[in-house]
Amino acid sequence: MTDLTLFTLMIGGYVGGALAACLFSRGALARWLAGVGAITGGAAALALGGGKLFDWSSASFTWIEVMGETSIAGPLQGARVVLIVYPLSALFLAIVGAIAIPAALYSIGYARDWEGRRSLRTPGVMLNLFLLSMSLVPLAESIFWFVLFWEGMAISSYLLVMTEADEPETVSAGNWYLGMTQFGLGFILAAFFLLLPPDGSGDFTALAKHAATLSPGLKSLVFVLALVGFGAKAGLVPLHVWLPSAHPAAPSHVSALMSSVMIKLGVYGVLLFGLRLLGGGPAWWGGLVLALGAVSALLGVLYALMEHDLKRLLAYHSIENIGIIFIGVGAGMMFLSYGLPALAVLGFVGGLYHTINHACFKGLLFLGAGSVLHATHTRNMEEMGGLIKRMPRTALFFLVGAAAISALPPLNGFVSEWVVFQALLGGATIPKREVAVLMPVAVAMLALASGLAAACFVKAFGITFLGIARSHEAEQAHEVPASMQVAMAALALACVVLGAAAYAMVPALARAVAGLAGLPPASALSAPGAVGQISPLSILLGLVVLLAAIPMALWLFRASRALRVSDTWGCGRIAQTPRMQYTAAAFAEPLRRIFAALYRPTEDVSIDFHPESRYFVQSIAYRAHIVPWFERYLYDPVIDRVIAWAARVRAIQSGSLHAYLTYLVAALVIMLGLLMLWGS
Amino acid sequence: MPLPTGYIVAIAQTALALLLAPGLVGLIRWLKARLQNRRGAPVWQPYLELRKLFAKEVVVSSNASWLFRAAPFVVFASTVAVAFLVPVLAVPLPFDSVGDLLVVVYLLLLGTFFLALAGLDPGSAFGGMGSSREMTVAALSEPTVALAIFALALGAGSTNLGQIVARTMADPAAAVSPGYLLAFGALFVVTLAENGRLPVDNPATHLELTMIHEAMILEYSGRYLALIEWAAWLKVLLFFSLLGNLFVPWGVATVLTWAALGWALATLLAKLVVLALTLAVFETRVAKLRLFRVPELLAVSFVLAVLAITVSFLVR
Amino acid sequence: MDSAFGHLTVLGSSLVLLCGLTLLWRRGSAAHIGAFAAQSVALAATAGLIAVVTGSRELWVVAVILLGLKGILMPILLKRMDRRFGSPRELEPYVNTATSLVIGGLLVVLAYIVTWPILDVSRLPTRAGMPLAMGLIFVSLFVIISRKKALTQVIGFLALENGIALLAMLGTYGIPFIVEMGVFLDALMGFLVMQIVIYRIQETFESIDVEQLNRLSQ
Repeated sequence: MTDLTLFTLMIGGYVGGALAACLFSRGALARWLAGVGAITGGAAALALGGGKLFDWSSASFTWIEVMGETSIAGPLQGARVVLIVYPLSALFLAIVGAIAIPAALYSIGYARDWEGRRSLRTPGVMLNLFLLSMSLVPLAESIFWFVLFWEGMAISSYLLVMTEADEPETVSAGNWYLGMTQFGLGFILAAFFLLLPPDGSGDFTALAKHAATLSPGLKSLVFVLALVGFGAKAGLVPLHVWLPSAHPAAPSHVSALMSSVMIKLGVYGVLLFGLRLLGGGPAWWGGLVLALGAVSALLGVLYALMEHDLKRLLAYHSIENIGIIFIGVGAGMMFLSYGLPALAVLGFVGGLYHTINHACFKGLLFLGAGSVLHATHTRNMEEMGGLIKRMPRTALFFLVGAAAISALPPLNGFVSEWVVFQALLGGATIPKREVAVLMPVAVAMLALASGLAAACFVKAFGITFLGIARSHEAEQAHEVPASMQVAMAALALACVVLGAAAYAMVPALARAVAGLAGLPPASALSAPGAVGQISPLSILLGLVVLLAAIPMALWLFRASRALRVSDTWGCGRIAQTPRMQYTAAAFAEPLRRIFAALYRPTEDVSIDFHPESRYFVQSIAYRAHIVPWFERYLYDPVIDRVIAWAARVRAIQSGSLHAYLTYLVAALVIMLGLLMLWGS
Repeated sequence: MPLPTGYIVAIAQTALALLLAPGLVGLIRWLKARLQNRRGAPVWQPYLELRKLFAKEVVVSSNASWLFRAAPFVVFASTVAVAFLVPVLAVPLPFDSVGDLLVVVYLLLLGTFFLALAGLDPGSAFGGMGSSREMTVAALSEPTVALAIFALALGAGSTNLGQIVARTMADPAAAVSPGYLLAFGALFVVTLAENGRLPVDNPATHLELTMIHEAMILEYSGRYLALIEWAAWLKVLLFFSLLGNLFVPWGVATVLTWAALGWALATLLAKLVVLALTLAVFETRVAKLRLFRVPELLAVSFVLAVLAITVSFLVR
Repeated sequence: MDSAFGHLTVLGSSLVLLCGLTLLWRRGSAAHIGAFAAQSVALAATAGLIAVVTGSRELWVVAVILLGLKGILMPILLKRMDRRFGSPRELEPYVNTATSLVIGGLLVVLAYIVTWPILDVSRLPTRAGMPLAMGLIFVSLFVIISRKKALTQVIGFLALENGIALLAMLGTYGIPFIVEMGVFLDALMGFLVMQIVIYRIQETFESIDVEQLNRLSQ
């Protein structure tokens, strides 16, 4: 299959799915057609991107000309509509396609809930358009097309988030999301326009050439603008506040897509500017990215620990993992600027590998959370429990995802974190010692974040799935439809395979950054000297062998095989109720106290006593709050000031026709005056 | 006698570790008893405990799921996998390139993860409490371990255990360098935390206020409990082997001859006895810390690791 | 840095620094006084070691004075002061223990960054210990500003003096006698003045919580 065929198939699949959802807006047919369209598009994208990435022999890019030559004059468009598949773009295209398939498959079963209650038109159409624009963003090679697809992605995802707009928090989440997207877009546009060459061509190659002639100060400004703009999309602290509200508000497969794929396009943007357009820069760029990444990783997981809403917890973990990705990318950029190409490649490979892995296990976890939501109609962990017996397959897949995100060997999360660790360890060889000593700080923060993530997922999996059901809905939960299960199974399998196949992944990822910004070309890559060696495949095989060998050994040595089922030991109590178990709040309590300086927790306890005696308690209400630092001290003041300013500007809207006519005439007169000044 | 190949030695080394582990813990308990003026159970008592547990019936809670029954196997498998990677007798072994020090740490975390989940499975408050505390301690000791690995890897140029041992053997002066000593101090505190020894956790208590590890495994009985206990004892032996063979590597066999292996075994036993004595004296001397003082202890070990790194940076 | 002497001086400096960090870890005056005594003994031992290698008689005298004055005499005086004015109640420091320790570690890293240029230039065998001495100075300053009990602040000040002495010894490979004596006298004067001030505080407020000094402004 040639590239052009795959590309046409991809576009056709998505557009076809969108059209089908438009035409058939109700019933199972709508769900299936929209889903199948998305799956076709996703498969084609995966084949196209994956093929380019693993293609050992071909050149570093392939031209695909679509729609022939269309010359549109002006500073916004390139002379030709050209979509090129660079290896870096191929990687992100493959990620979009890979997660699109399970998410679309999942949506088929998930949308069954909406039948009869909502029109399936908007979700179906917007899903396909969302996937289409996300697939085309990495391929765009001029400002116009990039921004077009970027905005398309933003708007379609906004409409998807607002699918269940009858809940008030969804509206607020949508507003935050749209606001932050536009905020980021402003910065991205500013960065692009600063790079525009005098002849106005928006082509990326022209931009890169022009950037080489700019002063270092201007280049740094462009990078910072791009970092802010793309960081807002990726969810870097302090631009992360939209993530924890938008992801839970969206339907689960949309949350999965947003968390797994969309925020990764923020990473793509930073790499695009840092490596391709600006061609690498001073070390403080990498240092800034690394620092922001480390802070995001730690803060993300610390806030995730305190969450009881399963999807909000996962959203905060996305912030943490984006932090880890940026630690790898930042380390790579720093090594690049110090002239250590082998270590730079290692850093980038770590960041990109974690991008893929996070896409897989976060997608899996969100789909799992969606299944739980589907079965119990609540996202609150405190009302779940014992689901492993009612939803065994979902529990198993969620467990794989939880183990992967906690960086447990031999799964994929561990392997990519290992690569990032090795890159940071290599940082000891940086010539400037003041900088090199920051590497241990990053290592410590990364290790702490990954340890806390493990603790958080013991809580998330344990309280949700294990123990006894804490509410009626949890008792009545049922397993989810087959399409949803297959989607989760596919991602779980991917988690295992991506870890074991590290020996193939790492060279492929190295090829993705080869040749950019002074990194050695693909043929000249070599392993850096100061790293360790591991074989995840052997670890996987070893663990499997051992797990099989132990029962055999027990049988061989004739250990007793008697087993009896009885009550949980209760220290003499008569009955066990679900209220006697640990709750999520109780589980996180020690960490809440230890990190109290960050959380500033406050508690609200109100006790209702029996009217006849204070010795008997009827009910206790316990509320715990933590201080949301960024929202309260960064965003609220800014928003208040903007609202105050807007209120003053409102004075222009006096409602009087005469005033408006006067404005028009005044504006006309001023414009004429300016034109006369410029003319002379 | 033909020379044993690397794989056979690796398997023999793991089997040896498995066989010695109960004896090591028995020795620690006996030494503590003697220091506290008691007679103490004989050193081979843990072997008798294992034999008893393997013969007993398992009682499983009605609320528990398949995870409860699978967890002991996962814990045991991951600890035995670590035994293949740690240089107990000889370096470099064929498995040296399979896993490095980071793999060792995270494989142990795998075991802890499943054990913590198994604590939550039966739905008892003891298990939940044990899981919560165990994961807190595990999470807070991660930075220290990572920095200690960093300090050791800085000198050796790699995180692979074989290379770290080889480097120290090649450069004996490095072994008394302050960087190594500080890293040893940090890792000693981590050993206490990871294995549930005083002052972090008391392995002999069953009071709910003071249990961490014991609370997680409270529901286990019979062969499951035997596997978990054996894995915990093996973990102690592996940590001691790491402390001994990374920091005082003389005696570790570098060639696979019977003489070298015999000498390696003798020095290993000597190091284990010394470390057991140190631990016994230390545990008798200190009192158990309140749970919320444990992070302070872990912060001390973190600072020791930070100092270890900054001091090692000079040795370049 | 390969020599055993270099290693041993770094070991001694590390011990001195670790005793300083113990001031951040342990609570209670008894632990603090013990840490200070141990620190002074370690400092005296380091001074003695350098004295042995350089053969400098002044350093021997300095070592003996350190041992006698700061290792034995001052701890006794401090214990007496604690018995007279010390409250059995523990005062929570401004920064909690774990955070203080992490900040202490970061201060040591900062000290390394600050002294690296000197390390590149210096050729002395004792140069590797200088960052640790600098670290002790920073940590002692942090003890003084983050602890509430006046007694702990006094001990922090004395530890600071130890740090300066260590830095001088390592940096100049033995210090001129008269300089050391001058520093000692300074410290002694400061110590005695603080004793009087603490006595006065105790008289006025019936406690030695320095927060209470705020009340003077009312």
